[in-house]
Amino acid sequence: MPKVKKKRVGFVIDMTPLVDITFLLLTFFMFTAKFKSEAEAEQKFFIERPLASADTSKLPEQDLAIVKIAFPDSTKQDTSYFYEMTNEADWNAVKSGIEGLTPEQMQGAQLQVSIETLEALIKRTYIVNSETSMAIDADKSIRFKWVSEAMDVLSKNRFTKFNYVTKKR
Amino acid sequence: MAGGGSLGGGGRSKRGKSSKRKSKKRVGFVLDMTPLVDITFLLLTFFMFTTTMATPQVMEMKVPPEIDVPVEVKESELLSILVDKDGDLFYFRGQGEAEELKMKNLKNLAIKENLNQINRLIIVLKVSDDTEYGTVVQVLDELNLAEAGIVDEMRVKRNQPNFERSRKFTIADLTEDDMEKIATLKPQTGGSQ
Repeated sequence: MPKVKKKRVGFVIDMTPLVDITFLLLTFFMFTAKFKSEAEAEQKFFIERPLASADTSKLPEQDLAIVKIAFPDSTKQDTSYFYEMTNEADWNAVKSGIEGLTPEQMQGAQLQVSIETLEALIKRTYIVNSETSMAIDADKSIRFKWVSEAMDVLSKNRFTKFNYVTKKR
Repeated sequence: MAGGGSLGGGGRSKRGKSSKRKSKKRVGFVLDMTPLVDITFLLLTFFMFTTTMATPQVMEMKVPPEIDVPVEVKESELLSILVDKDGDLFYFRGQGEAEELKMKNLKNLAIKENLNQINRLIIVLKVSDDTEYGTVVQVLDELNLAEAGIVDEMRVKRNQPNFERSRKFTIADLTEDDMEKIATLKPQTGGSQ
């Protein structure tokens, strides 16, 4: 009696290794993913950071205050200071000590400030938490005057050590 | 594969009675993984595209605290590096004559001058207000790279394994006097305004 051949429809691929590796990658990316902070989400401009050679030092995550110096719009005509802090409690404490902030500014995670307000904010930051680490995040094509004024303000208010945020070359 | 519901052991044995075919012995069970794989791929692509791998790095900067009393320094221990508004570099020792400097020679100059006056040389970086910030960072970067070169030279080539480096460095404004000093060195084509 001849064997009855079973008709095969389609074919089967063993998906197990594929699924394995996919899960592995998924877990990796899920754990390494870092979401934008509130301040970054508010930010409407882009900072083209200056290039520097590779360095192992990274931006601290705790108690960080960033002075951003950037062009607020794409025409690159104006330059402005922005100030933000990662520690929310400190940030609210700092803001509550500054006079003349609108209710909107009190809510915001990033403030667009003049050099005078910046000085007041930095002075207040030192009072609230003197352990705060300072960083200057400036666009590479701004004039150095803006950075040097910010540096003067920082050193006047006893922040003699700070970081420039750079991009790996 | 048989239709959905009839995969259980019960159905199999019932059918086995009516046919002479040997029933295939099944080990384990089959689970349709397709939706799982679909959603996993979706999440994977999402996380892959939203993650930014290049976290910004930082360059540490220390400035001397504000003090009222001027510090006296020896003229011979002073090396001024000037950066003008076009990003051109110049340097002079003490109160000497300014000389032109190229970015690629900056590191070697810093190493050489520092080795002449170990831990005593003060580098003053004088930057014009109109220089681009990116250029300044580039200069600072070169000077940072020179530090490694100095320590290496001392510890390895000069055989002082316990050499400790103390760096003396400051940033200042470019003054009118400095501008005059470098005015003659600037290329005249378009340099004068």
